[in-house]
Amino acid sequence: MRSIGLSLLLGAAVPQSASADTRKFPTPLPEEVLPNVAVLPGIWPKSWVLIHDLNFASILDGKLALVDTRSADRPLKGLVRAAQFANELVAPDRGEIYTAETFYGRLTRGKRTDAITIWDMKTLQPKGEIILPDGKRQLSVTYPNVFQFTNGGKWALVANFTPAQSVTVVDLHARKVLGEIDLPGCTQIYPSGERGFSSLCADGSVFSVTLDDKGQAASSSSVAKVQDIDRQPLFGTPAMVGRTAWFVSYYGMVQGIDLSGPVAKPLPGAFSVDKGDGAKADGGTPQWRPGGWQVIASDAKGLLYVLMSPNGKEGSHKDGGTEVWVVDPVKKARLSRIALKGQGLAIAVTREDAPQLIVARADGVVDVHDAATGAFVRTLGATVAANPIVITVP
Amino acid sequence: MAGFDKFAERMARGVARGTSRRSLLAWLGAGMTGTALLPALPVARASTHPDAARPEMTSGTPQDPGNPASCDYWRYCAIDGFLCSCCGGTVNSCPPGTEMSPITWIGTCTNPADGRAYIISYNDCCGVSSCGQCLCNRNEGDRPQVRPQSNNDYNWCLGTESSIYNCSVAAIVGTALDQPK
Repeated sequence: MRSIGLSLLLGAAVPQSASADTRKFPTPLPEEVLPNVAVLPGIWPKSWVLIHDLNFASILDGKLALVDTRSADRPLKGLVRAAQFANELVAPDRGEIYTAETFYGRLTRGKRTDAITIWDMKTLQPKGEIILPDGKRQLSVTYPNVFQFTNGGKWALVANFTPAQSVTVVDLHARKVLGEIDLPGCTQIYPSGERGFSSLCADGSVFSVTLDDKGQAASSSSVAKVQDIDRQPLFGTPAMVGRTAWFVSYYGMVQGIDLSGPVAKPLPGAFSVDKGDGAKADGGTPQWRPGGWQVIASDAKGLLYVLMSPNGKEGSHKDGGTEVWVVDPVKKARLSRIALKGQGLAIAVTREDAPQLIVARADGVVDVHDAATGAFVRTLGATVAANPIVITVP
Repeated sequence: MAGFDKFAERMARGVARGTSRRSLLAWLGAGMTGTALLPALPVARASTHPDAARPEMTSGTPQDPGNPASCDYWRYCAIDGFLCSCCGGTVNSCPPGTEMSPITWIGTCTNPADGRAYIISYNDCCGVSSCGQCLCNRNEGDRPQVRPQSNNDYNWCLGTESSIYNCSVAAIVGTALDQPK
């Protein structure tokens, strides 16, 4: 019986006679035009995001995945190279993506070149580059705030780490490097004022620099005791609401810093994400704490979304979270809790009319929730990146 | 801690001989710094094939107990990265074809066999692409990048011909004077 069953199965796989098929389809499929490369719309739909793939298995070949979060069957629209601990910026008004990257002449050896590559958003083709001097670009796991715009987006700032710390000022319009600002003891770049930036420093202060029209430091000042690195360390990546950067600590305290002026101004009244009901983020069992890589996001209304884990303990802060807590930083109250389908590592909220909460998970899966209700909408599966770690909403 | 400070001073002087004044200042400013790179992220664990289980290794020395291919091995108390023991190197040597970073992060781990606290140097091996085997990461004591000496997200393939990261070793470079608690 077994051999008969097998024969039948094989028989079923054999194509039927050609004549039967051609009777059913009298006209052949048309010939297709080659070569043929897909083209993107000049203005990306607001459901599209860039997901940074650090690609641990080959870090020198990192990439950005352009993802349509509303497409369950074809979410991956294309890839942009993001080599060797790269960072990215997007300027939709100019139709350009910028990647700060590092290369070696013989892939892993040879002459080192650091460069900003300029990519066309419509074709994803490179259209220029700006060489960064001295091979000192900071290489680390993807932190968005080591590559930032200033001066209305006309300039970019690149963090360096040799381990001496400094910032390279780049004129994106003129495609040239303007200068370098020493930044001993401070790290990360938070654009502040019209033309300048602020950084967090190892003594807990925030240091602000203004730049002159040549890209040189014009003035600087420091505000002490902005964070207690031992007891309430802040995740380095904030969520932006206008020019206010909202940081969250390892224990769930939310601290705003006003970056609208030339000197960063910490906002009074840090508050806990648990404010509003009894679930504690900084005590009790289980201990809810923020966890993941990109743990805080904002929406167009100014609400904050914080990725939370119930397994919070020392050393858990990068392990990911299973809920997103929605917080109103004006009322200093938590509005809702969103249960995720897995262990999220990075979150972002689109700027669509009906905004979506995008969750990149530790297993590589990308899930989409309705940001307003928290309801799970769709999964994109593990289909866009090996190691999705940062989500950029252009 | 006195022993550690002395050691740190010696290491810093060693670095000073090979680097510019400016980077030395930054180095000293940062403290005895520098985690051995790498993504302490579960995403990296997820990328490991489920069949990646491997036979146990041993040092062959009862005084150095445990499996150098396992994240639980005593010397890895503060490591972050691919274990060189799984990459063609050993717990204290880089794989052939790589270059060992001269700038490292140093941790103190207690050997369960003899109860001593050892100073462990987590040098990165550089110049060959990601090993991809035996990722081991712990974040106890990890702090944001604002404090480089206790942040494991920097790539510490610094001062090498190439900044391409391959794996990390965990070499004994001394004993701490303080007795373990």
